[in-house]
Amino acid sequence: MGASPAPDLDAQLMLRVRDGDEDSFRVLLDKHRNPLVHFLYRMVQEQPVSEELAQEVFLRIYRSRASYEPTARFTTWMFRIATHLALNWLRDEKNERATERLDEDRGGDLPSRELPDRKPSVEQRMVYQARLQEIRDAISALPDKQRAAVLMHKYQEMEYAQIASALECSESAIKSLLFRAYETLRARLAHMVVRGAQ
Amino acid sequence: MTQVEMKCPLSREDTADVLLDYSARRLDKARAARLERHMESCEACAAFSVQQGALWSALDEWEPEPVSMDFNRRMWQKIDLLAAEPWYRRLADSLRFGAWKPAIPLAAAVLLVATAFVMDHSGTVAQTHDVSITEVDQVEKTLDDVQLLKQFDSTVTETGASKTAM
Repeated sequence: MGASPAPDLDAQLMLRVRDGDEDSFRVLLDKHRNPLVHFLYRMVQEQPVSEELAQEVFLRIYRSRASYEPTARFTTWMFRIATHLALNWLRDEKNERATERLDEDRGGDLPSRELPDRKPSVEQRMVYQARLQEIRDAISALPDKQRAAVLMHKYQEMEYAQIASALECSESAIKSLLFRAYETLRARLAHMVVRGAQ
Repeated sequence: MTQVEMKCPLSREDTADVLLDYSARRLDKARAARLERHMESCEACAAFSVQQGALWSALDEWEPEPVSMDFNRRMWQKIDLLAAEPWYRRLADSLRFGAWKPAIPLAAAVLLVATAFVMDHSGTVAQTHDVSITEVDQVEKTLDDVQLLKQFDSTVTETGASKTAM
């Protein structure tokens, strides 16, 4: 961290896409598909939704190719779009769930939301799934910006400056935000952290 | 050579990044060594580092699911559909994604110049209007004076002629 920024090859590819080179877009798609879907999956925690959102991110990138200017790193731009889409989806989903709860309270006969079947087959799998669920819950309980920042920092290994640019705030604010987010996670997952530290 | 004492990273929220990077093994050797020397005498930082390291390992357990095999195929289908969209929809999309943003300062400058021109021009018109009214008044007055002089001249000439005749 803190090294001089490498030339952004992705931005060069994107400039070629702007000039009509579809193969360059194919390269960008292949390179960033997995990290993007994984980031979105951890944000929204639903695989089909994360893939749909990732496709929307790529579609927006493709649509705006004609006006593309490499003012920021390509990945920063991509994750900024992804974060906006994920947070919008989460907000809409929260509203939808609130409405469903209201309908249920009123005795509505809507079918209940189907939860993914996470029934384990063996005890070890059960323990693992329980731990995993705790981690997922702890991350999803973080405020939106903290969650996005943690996922970019931990799993995408992005630099502070990049995270700050993607979330449109200062680098210093991101460092404080991450400090508080990890503090919350250490408290929520204290039993794992203490056991792991021993 | 004496080593400069490191300021405790936990003294402020925005300086604790060095501890986060150390726990994530993303710190360069020199900074890591300096932090390790600091942690020998700072229990808070040492405890933070251990707990953050454990949290880091716990978070590693969360593996993402593999991406669908047909992701690219579905993606290109959407791009093909995009190409079939009418021109006004594509224009609206390009405007929606900020293509118009660079034009904002230009538009503001044009508006400013236009406003200044209109204000300046309207002042000139009013001034010109005032000047022309004054000029007309002066011309009328001059004409009246000339007519008065003519009448005076003719009166003087008539009086002179009658005196000569007597």
